[in-house]
Amino acid sequence: MSHPITTDDSREIVRVDAIVKDFRPGLGLRAKRVLHEVSFAVREGEIYGFVGPNGAGKTTTLKILMGLIRPTSGNATILDCDVTETGFREHIGFLPENPYFYSFLTAEEILRFYARLSGVGGRDRDRRVQALIELVGLGDARRERLSTYSKGMLQRVGIAQALIHDPKVVFLDEPMSGLDPIGRKDIRDIILRLKSEGKTVFMNTHILNDVEMICDRVAIIVKGRIRHEGPIREFMNEEAMRSDIVLAHLAPEVAEQLGAKFSARVQTVGEQVEVQVMDGQVRDLLKSALEAGAEVLSLSPNRISLERIFLEAVEQGEQADGSSAAERGAPAC
Amino acid sequence: MLNSGSRIWPIATNTVREAVRHRLLYTLLFFAVTMIGFSVLIASLSYVEGERIIQDVGLASIRLFSVGIAIFVGIGLIHGEVERRTIYTILAKPVTRSEFLLGKFLGLLLTVWLQLCLMAIAFVAVSVLVGAGLDLGYVAAMLLVGVELMVIVAVATLFSSFTTPMLAAFFTLGIYALGHLSRDLYSLGQASDVPAVKQAATLLYRALPDLESFNLSTQAVHGVAISGAEVGWASLYGVAYSIALLILASFIFHRRDLE
Ligand SMILES: Nc1ncnc2c1ncn2[C@@H]1O[C@H](COP(=O)(O)OP(=O)(O)OP(=O)(O)O)[C@@H](O)[C@H]1O
Ligand SMILES: [Mg+2]
Repeated sequence: MSHPITTDDSREIVRVDAIVKDFRPGLGLRAKRVLHEVSFAVREGEIYGFVGPNGAGKTTTLKILMGLIRPTSGNATILDCDVTETGFREHIGFLPENPYFYSFLTAEEILRFYARLSGVGGRDRDRRVQALIELVGLGDARRERLSTYSKGMLQRVGIAQALIHDPKVVFLDEPMSGLDPIGRKDIRDIILRLKSEGKTVFMNTHILNDVEMICDRVAIIVKGRIRHEGPIREFMNEEAMRSDIVLAHLAPEVAEQLGAKFSARVQTVGEQVEVQVMDGQVRDLLKSALEAGAEVLSLSPNRISLERIFLEAVEQGEQADGSSAAERGAPAC
Repeated sequence: MLNSGSRIWPIATNTVREAVRHRLLYTLLFFAVTMIGFSVLIASLSYVEGERIIQDVGLASIRLFSVGIAIFVGIGLIHGEVERRTIYTILAKPVTRSEFLLGKFLGLLLTVWLQLCLMAIAFVAVSVLVGAGLDLGYVAAMLLVGVELMVIVAVATLFSSFTTPMLAAFFTLGIYALGHLSRDLYSLGQASDVPAVKQAATLLYRALPDLESFNLSTQAVHGVAISGAEVGWASLYGVAYSIALLILASFIFHRRDLE
């Protein structure tokens, strides 16, 4: 794997080295390889997006990092400790996929429980518990049993328990799943806040929009193989650095002029004019448009390239899989 | 290691709390107490030695129900945590798998001991009601029921750490039955002329728990003197056997993939 040239040479917090994982479905059945020599590194203070389609091996990788399952070969370290050790876990937080907790406890009770397990003691414990309940917005339900909680509320409990001991590194498996739009934004804000506090965040997801909004680095995994890895801006080619602007009350010929002046793509749709322009030109174009009496209906960054790379990677993955099956002389059916 | 307790204890108390907030256990407990009451009825119908029958049946039902509850809860103890994935977030904290296992074991043990206490109270109440004599022999008998429960809980914890509740129930019941027969199996083997059979019988006796060593009910009911040494040795044996089982369980559990 060629490492992309990046300006930051900060400490590697998570190191994954040629991890292979085979699952044995049962006695006598052939082992199924789920991870093929997966390698990557997460640096201090970054938000790392681990993306891939369903069944790519994201959760399996995370389970190996959490020491829940053992790799068939290869090794992984977090904060320079082997992941099978226990002590360093006081510095990490983990949100599993579709988290589930002791349903006979209330949110307060479960958070106090996790705080005790993480060694948060006495006065500090109650303060942290209340602060996190507020942070994830469960204030009204704090004394209700988790058996009455909805999926999204459980997800919030999951975030709270992952952060209860103020960890340095946070691992999140599909943090946005099951959340409403407000919930998603809340979680995004929490993740960005963690980053501003100098924490390192590793997150599994297949929601590319979230990745583009918050991640610093991205790895794309398809069928157990890393297909792309690098800083998010590498995934943003020229096309990705454009924005879409929708304008109204703009005469077609003025629109044409604007297009020529800012080398923007202009398209008239009924009463509206859609303009696609380089990010650097957005301000000037808007200014000119407003001076010409236009009304701005919407402005959105155009970030299609990650999706395109993602889809290409998936396609490549499928093809590679198909050709290797052919090489092995496997039956076509 | 010093801090182990601060992690084991919350896991144990949560296990107790889960049991206490579980309705099914109350039902079982209710049945057990009813059984003890029922024995009064049987006793009042018989002419000879009524109190003795009450206490015989009472002690037997206490043993039966407490072991039943221990197995019933124990077989899903670890498996349930893996199945429901509640274990993921716990092991992501600085908790070793051994600490988790020990916490679950202690929690279940405290639960069944609590139930044993409640049943013992019912037993004393019935005995006082019918005017049957109570002496230290009963205390010793109850104590050793408690030790036997510890061994059963350890057996259930061991099986629950790597198999499904169905299989764990099957194995634990098997060990329970064989454990009560292990003395007979041993003497049967020793009576054989074939040395290999003798050796195998000895080996089996060593490996299986000798659960009859915890059974003082006959002595207690018939007022046969029970020595403190007997109770002490039996308790020590029970503790040592449980520790060995837990070490084995933790050895297996550490190597498992939790998925
Ligand atoms: N215990 C297991 N036994 C056999 N195969 C397994 C096991 N666990 C996972 N797999 C397989 O490993 C592959 C990767 O699964 P994994 O859960 O890591 O995917 P994922 O990337 O997290 O997907 P998703 O986006 O749906 O969460 C899948 O093909 C799955 O079938
Ligand atoms: Mg997953």
